[in-house]
Amino acid sequence: MTPSIITLGPHQLALEEPMYFKVELEGDTVVGLDVMAGHVHRGMEHLVMKRNLYQNITLLERLCSLCSNSHPSTFCTAVEDIAGIVVPERAEYLRAIADEIKRISSHLFNCAIMAHIIGQGALFKNVMQIREIMQETKEAIYGNRMDLAANCIGGVRYELTPELSMYLGQRMELMKAPLDELYRIYTTDPAIRVRTEGLGVLPRQEAKDYAVVGPVARGSGIAYDVRKKSPYGAYDRLNFLVATETSGDVRARASVRLREAQESVSLIEQCLTRMPDGKSCADILPEIPAGETIAKSEAPRGELIYYLSTDGSDMPARLKWRVPSYMNWDALKVMLKGERVTDIPLIVNSIDPCISCTDR
Amino acid sequence: MATAPKNLSEPLLQLYRINAGSCNGCDVELATTATVASFDVERIGCSYTESPAEADIVLVTGPLTVRVREKVLRAYGEVPEPKITVAVGVCPISGGVFRDSYAVDGPVDRYLPVDVNVPGCPPRPQAILAGIEEAVLLWRARRDGVLPPPVASQPHPEKGAVSTGVRGKMDFNPAACVGCRMCEHVCAGGAIRFNEEFTGLRFTLWHNSCVFCGLCRHYCPTGALTVTDEWQLAHRQDQKYHLTTQGIMPYAPCSGCGELLLPVAPELLRVAFRGTGREIDRLKSLCTECRQKQSIGGRRR
Repeated sequence: MTPSIITLGPHQLALEEPMYFKVELEGDTVVGLDVMAGHVHRGMEHLVMKRNLYQNITLLERLCSLCSNSHPSTFCTAVEDIAGIVVPERAEYLRAIADEIKRISSHLFNCAIMAHIIGQGALFKNVMQIREIMQETKEAIYGNRMDLAANCIGGVRYELTPELSMYLGQRMELMKAPLDELYRIYTTDPAIRVRTEGLGVLPRQEAKDYAVVGPVARGSGIAYDVRKKSPYGAYDRLNFLVATETSGDVRARASVRLREAQESVSLIEQCLTRMPDGKSCADILPEIPAGETIAKSEAPRGELIYYLSTDGSDMPARLKWRVPSYMNWDALKVMLKGERVTDIPLIVNSIDPCISCTDR
Repeated sequence: MATAPKNLSEPLLQLYRINAGSCNGCDVELATTATVASFDVERIGCSYTESPAEADIVLVTGPLTVRVREKVLRAYGEVPEPKITVAVGVCPISGGVFRDSYAVDGPVDRYLPVDVNVPGCPPRPQAILAGIEEAVLLWRARRDGVLPPPVASQPHPEKGAVSTGVRGKMDFNPAACVGCRMCEHVCAGGAIRFNEEFTGLRFTLWHNSCVFCGLCRHYCPTGALTVTDEWQLAHRQDQKYHLTTQGIMPYAPCSGCGELLLPVAPELLRVAFRGTGREIDRLKSLCTECRQKQSIGGRRR
């Protein structure tokens, strides 16, 4: 049989962002894949060098809205490293809280879209409704439902008053039962299991070969989590489990995400109890000397690495980053091979692709 | 939630989304207006379609990247007339933080006619709904070949109800501004401009380029900038460049030589000296040169 080639776009794949695939098919089986990227290329590496370090805090938050807190917090960590700024302990906890809040929302959005692709309309709406608890929380604490504007060089620029801390604690309490229920549904519901088990498998060795990160790696049995392997901020003082699965299929990745969301709730609660009083930001206008550094963090989609080089002015001399989706995209070739064309959207969604991060 | 005047004979208007290279923030919020009951677009007589040929109203997100431009224009061209276009978020309206990039070709209205703008980064779902409601009014007027109804002077009371702490548009107090221009320096969207005019220093903030991050407020030494909770900013295209906040800091003559200078705001004196005395009050009315002369010539040590 001669292979045929079809092009799939965002509307066929239920993606929020424009990404196109050239898929090579034999019958209805995928034999080859080519990704046509760059639609969300906004020239970010060029733009960050035209903006000063302060403007870049806001600009980088718009690199991607689903992991929007990871970018500025990692960037600020890099600047602080070069300038030798010691971030107050309270700010470390406040940064962790912002990161974990975003992680829960991001993972729930991915699981919601997964239900949508499977055709479980009611579950889709249900997950989005649960996610609203997080959205309302973000709006009440940070003033925006997506971009928190939490970070500044030297710490954070938001404060959790005793009232807001109590509010956040109550909201986390509200999340517990729905998250347990979702985990149960996504791992045991027969209609979901039949669509996701054994689908889009990425074996452990291939996961290593493709250097995948985040829930994609952990779903294939690789317990790599930056928060655990090289703790930053407050994470060395917090207790949490790195969720892993061994089957490497769509179900495994969803299960990892939902368990991580549960862990995030516990992390936020720990932060609220352990967070000391004090300043939430060091010196407001520090001098940034010439230097270079690397900072990394665990974004919702996996390891995020920032390289920053400065020349003593307040414009970065070079700023480059490696985003988690970059490696995870490539591994789709393994996951999709031999699968049916109708399963492509589900498998693509299972890596939680972030196109605006990858194309930037 | 507000509802458009219900007319049961009107069919649901179809909304078609076009992502013109967005960071996905607005797109995720559009997804909530399809799934979360309290923000459901069906409440205002609309529903989403995946086919441009069925659409009545086009929602554009993103700054219009060079790479996606042709695809956007093709999809837009497939939407039959009459159609109304809504720019969702500041990126399609002005380019937002992505302005001046070689890879960005916006704003969107360079290539296609925009009718309604919904500023925000991303806008709240409530603001997006308000923009869509406006688009529905314009669509009906265009279909019926009549002039669109005038803009209601007061927003719908329900829409004005805000939860506390929402980051809305910035407000500016010229009396507290010292013209240090730190806000202009830290603004990623280039929304703030200072112009030296004959009578004073003019401050201009364009809300269609502002991403409501509040960094200007954070770095303002005198608190001249504040974040308000005013998020209801959806407006028609003819208002696009009127959505500004301005202020003038008038010059005053130096009490020594009469040259015009920007007076020192009391807020700055409070920050710098905690309080003021007679000596500070006298010195602050002098220009730098006169201050130098007086302190050197006044008392020789």
